[in-house]
Amino acid sequence: MLTCKEVLESLSDYLDADMKEDIINEMKKHIGSCSDCRAEFDTLTMTLKLYKHEAGEPKAMPVGCHDRLVKVLELEKLRSKGAPPPKMV
Amino acid sequence: MTLESKECEEIVSAATDEELVRRSKEDDERAFGELVSRYESKVYSLALRMVRNPEDAEDVLQDTFLRAYRGIKSFQGASTFSTWIYRITANSALMRLRKKQLPTVSIEDQDERETPVNIADWTPGPADQLMTQELQQEMDAAIESLPPEFQQVFILRDVEEKSNAEVAEILDLSVAAVKSRLHRARLKVRNRLSTYFSDSEKPKRRAMGAH
Repeated sequence: MLTCKEVLESLSDYLDADMKEDIINEMKKHIGSCSDCRAEFDTLTMTLKLYKHEAGEPKAMPVGCHDRLVKVLELEKLRSKGAPPPKMV
Repeated sequence: MTLESKECEEIVSAATDEELVRRSKEDDERAFGELVSRYESKVYSLALRMVRNPEDAEDVLQDTFLRAYRGIKSFQGASTFSTWIYRITANSALMRLRKKQLPTVSIEDQDERETPVNIADWTPGPADQLMTQELQQEMDAAIESLPPEFQQVFILRDVEEKSNAEVAEILDLSVAAVKSRLHRARLKVRNRLSTYFSDSEKPKRRAMGAH
């Protein structure tokens, strides 16, 4: 039987199902019978769900951002093709 | 637009990243331009998640593609272009964060519980019912309170949903180091949200902006 300490240390791997199957089963058994560890597991699971939910919101580029990027790259192109480098102040 | 240039554009947009990288190394500006079009919004989005304000995110975007432009000839192709460009983005964002970061308490000293301590369960209900603007601010603040190196792992893994192996490659870390940082970051972020929920339980609605 796993101890609470061992369960807590492995919660992240358990959430990612990144452990051997027999350990997964042991974790499942412990979390099913220990309310403290279950609260740890449930709150961690919900935390990650909230962040994944928020990640669905697009982070769009502001207006003009693409054009400014193109301009910066064009200046760099000119510079690299022989124009004198800008003086560093 | 002439037929020739239209055809040329179609060929570029149908090319694989590898092909575009190869042509960019031969000074094909159109090929590099296509790589910019393909990745600029992804780079911007990752940058914004990491630096958290649009001005800094745009600086990171420009810095990333400038470095990519300068470095494309020495890009060996050991990783994919996408991993490479994310690595440059993460490094650029990290440098910016370090410049701005207020001194933080080392994450090593915090949240090191060996046994569970009666965490209140605030989880019933689907995520979209819990979500409010105030909670979103708290979630951003929770990430911000992590040291920058932990923020990066958490954002790439749990917000951008990349695998441990991909995060390791992007950040040039071992998978074990990614997992260790991720575990600590997750617990710390969760603890902050737990505090938020237990505080907001008492006076049912906290005033907006109150801390």
